[in-house]
Amino acid sequence: MTSRMLGIGFLSPAIISVCIFFLLPVLLTVVFAFTNMSTSTGIMGGDYRINTEQLRSLPDLDVSEATVERLETAGFQITEAGLTALADQFSKDTAEELREDYLGETFESRRDLERVLKDLDEPIRRTRDRKEAADLFAVTLIGERFGTEEEFRAALGTTGIDAVDHDVLTEFAYTGWTWTTDNFSLLMELPSTLRYAANTAFYVVATLTFNILFGLFLAISTFYLPGRLANTFRAIWFLPRILPPVLYVLMWNWFTWDNGFIATVMGWFGVPAKNWMMHTSTHAWTAIVLINGFVGASLGMILFSSAIKAIPTSMLYASEVDGANRWQQVRYIILPQMRWPILFMTSYQTLSLLTSFEYILLATDGGPGRSTEVWALAAFHTALNNYGGNLQYGFGAAYALVLVFIGIALSVAYLRFFNFKELLSKPRIEQ
Amino acid sequence: MELRLENFTKRFGDVTVIENMDLTVNSGEMMALLGPSGCGKSTTLFAICGIHKMNGGALYFGDRDVTTVSAQGRSVGVVFQNYALYPHMTAEQNIGFPLKVQRMPKAEIRREVERLADLVQIGNLLDRRPAELSGGQQQRVALARAMIRKPDVLLLDEPLANLDAKLRLEMRSEIRRIQRETGITAILVTHDQVEAMSMCDRIALMRDGKIVQLDTPEQMYRNPQSQFVAGFLGNPPISFLPARADASLTLANGQTIERPPGLEAMGDVVLGIRPEHFGPQHGTGLKGKVVFVEPQGREELVDVRLDGGGDIRSILPAGDPIRPGETVDWGIAPGTILAFGPNGDRL
Ligand SMILES: Nc1ncnc2c1ncn2[C@@H]1O[C@H](COP(=O)(O)OP(=O)(O)OP(=O)(O)O)[C@@H](O)[C@H]1O
Ligand SMILES: [Mg+2]
Repeated sequence: MTSRMLGIGFLSPAIISVCIFFLLPVLLTVVFAFTNMSTSTGIMGGDYRINTEQLRSLPDLDVSEATVERLETAGFQITEAGLTALADQFSKDTAEELREDYLGETFESRRDLERVLKDLDEPIRRTRDRKEAADLFAVTLIGERFGTEEEFRAALGTTGIDAVDHDVLTEFAYTGWTWTTDNFSLLMELPSTLRYAANTAFYVVATLTFNILFGLFLAISTFYLPGRLANTFRAIWFLPRILPPVLYVLMWNWFTWDNGFIATVMGWFGVPAKNWMMHTSTHAWTAIVLINGFVGASLGMILFSSAIKAIPTSMLYASEVDGANRWQQVRYIILPQMRWPILFMTSYQTLSLLTSFEYILLATDGGPGRSTEVWALAAFHTALNNYGGNLQYGFGAAYALVLVFIGIALSVAYLRFFNFKELLSKPRIEQ
Repeated sequence: MELRLENFTKRFGDVTVIENMDLTVNSGEMMALLGPSGCGKSTTLFAICGIHKMNGGALYFGDRDVTTVSAQGRSVGVVFQNYALYPHMTAEQNIGFPLKVQRMPKAEIRREVERLADLVQIGNLLDRRPAELSGGQQQRVALARAMIRKPDVLLLDEPLANLDAKLRLEMRSEIRRIQRETGITAILVTHDQVEAMSMCDRIALMRDGKIVQLDTPEQMYRNPQSQFVAGFLGNPPISFLPARADASLTLANGQTIERPPGLEAMGDVVLGIRPEHFGPQHGTGLKGKVVFVEPQGREELVDVRLDGGGDIRSILPAGDPIRPGETVDWGIAPGTILAFGPNGDRL
């Protein structure tokens, strides 16, 4: 009993971390993906308002013309607010008289109110002034803000708008976010979706291939170097990994700028200067695969190196006295025993490449055009860094949710494939 | 094929492990490299198969100078102490590997593998991986792999060290049988004297990177050239008693024994008496008290503390009713006393 409690106690930091850093973000992503949250809706909910520009799109909503007209001018009412404005802009006496005789009264049309204004003891004489004065008492929903749905509906009731249209208008007037599955149908419709998916597939496959092959090459070639030299090489190749991404990509940028290293060197051979990273999409892809590839390869190098070192030296000796040359030793002895590290590296890197975009963001930011925009970057751009300025949190989350599902599916597949239990219990490199 | 090592020197950094060693193994002979741990046996073996470069000297296989030839270029088969089988290959692939890297046609490899598998008697285990084989079976696979190229020499580095006692006995005679059947020149590295004596035609006994005696097992046992050799061979080990030589031999404890014929030395000596040469069947002469009896089934080991000091060991047929505490007066078989000088050399 106590030991069980103790176990849970020891586990709790891990459990808490998993909850905070994995479950919670996933949960939030799911929640956001089913909303239309964006900069304009905010994330806190909103109020009810219809403004003048929105009036123009009202007919699209299938409401009657009468309703639109009603919305614009629902009628006129003598209110304290209107009277104060009248006192300010015209005459106090007029306002005072109007309050005494008409406060609270409503008028169907402007003409009725104008007639009243004209017939006062202290009338407003000029026709144009009367018009303006009447407008001060106009009752309208346009531009007015209502905190809750009830208030808005109540206001609608006073305008005499056909009750049939109330629901549509309420929904239309809501400025906050709502639940919706539109994000996913939009994802299905947009041609860019396919584009991003293809980009991502290419990015993952190309980078992964480079990672593994180059990592293997580094591990094997340093294995055959004398110890000191090998360590120096490994340290150099490990730099991309430990360098802060911003610094690392900055170096690449410097390397490829129009007046950077490559351009300068190529200039000596008469090649016109250009941005070697952004010139065409081929340039951009090459740069991205290399940038990510070197980072991944250095991790692969470390993992593969230690896997090679775990091969008993006597086995390598044996292969030498058996007559195997270097190449045959690599081909028949070392590589077959690297199967598990290679598979592990492949699966691990697939997952991390699918979701990582920081190097692309820093290097090409998806450009030129959208040619290197991968899925994760698209999610980031949509939700958090939009050119237009309207950040579509909901839509971005829908992008991200797709990745979450692919990631979980892949993880489960890997777990079954590797049979991790077995992998953990028994070392794969046997004596 | 004859193997000749001349003036072999091996250094690791500035530590000289072997200096100017000469060794000749006759064609078809099985030679043991015997010695305590760290004396340089494996180092010698690795130099012969080409894994380690020699720092000095020359190595000949027959008339061919292979000193600078790479491991791949020498025709040697090696059985490593831990067998060093390739875990990802089946027994068949393991055995056939030396031929595969020579790009021999598959059918031919198959035929050769079967021939070797018959020789080491594992024909029914060919499609198993090393992890699915017992220690003895792995040993046989390793042996087959080492022999499939019909190498000039076969090198065995402590091949029996990882086996249990019964299997060790079995493999001992197996390896010897296979070596005899193929007539291959072989070197067996071991620190186990029983292995060396029972399996090999000759033994090179090493100490600190030098060969201290090279002889047949019988000669080395009966006629050791130094106190070290006498002490290294024999189980239970020989007993040493310091003595003074003049008209007779006076032990440190004051008891005297007769001078063996042929011993000319005078002064301080160390006498070596093997346990089978001391006992009641050899008459009387040395008095003492039994301090320890260790039954060993067929025989029993008896430790005797001599009156006045000094321990001597005897091995007797089981059944003699000897108890610790008993006083005894036993003799030494004539002509079996070994005498060594103060520097350890045989006198
Ligand atoms: N690679 C090496 N670098 C430095 N010293 C080494 C190396 N290999 C062996 N030695 C040293 O050389 C000496 C002989 O080693 P070797 O392995 O030949 O001993 P051995 O006789 O085979 O002993 P064992 O019976 O324990 O296997 C030892 O003192 C060892 O420390
Ligand atoms: Mg050794």
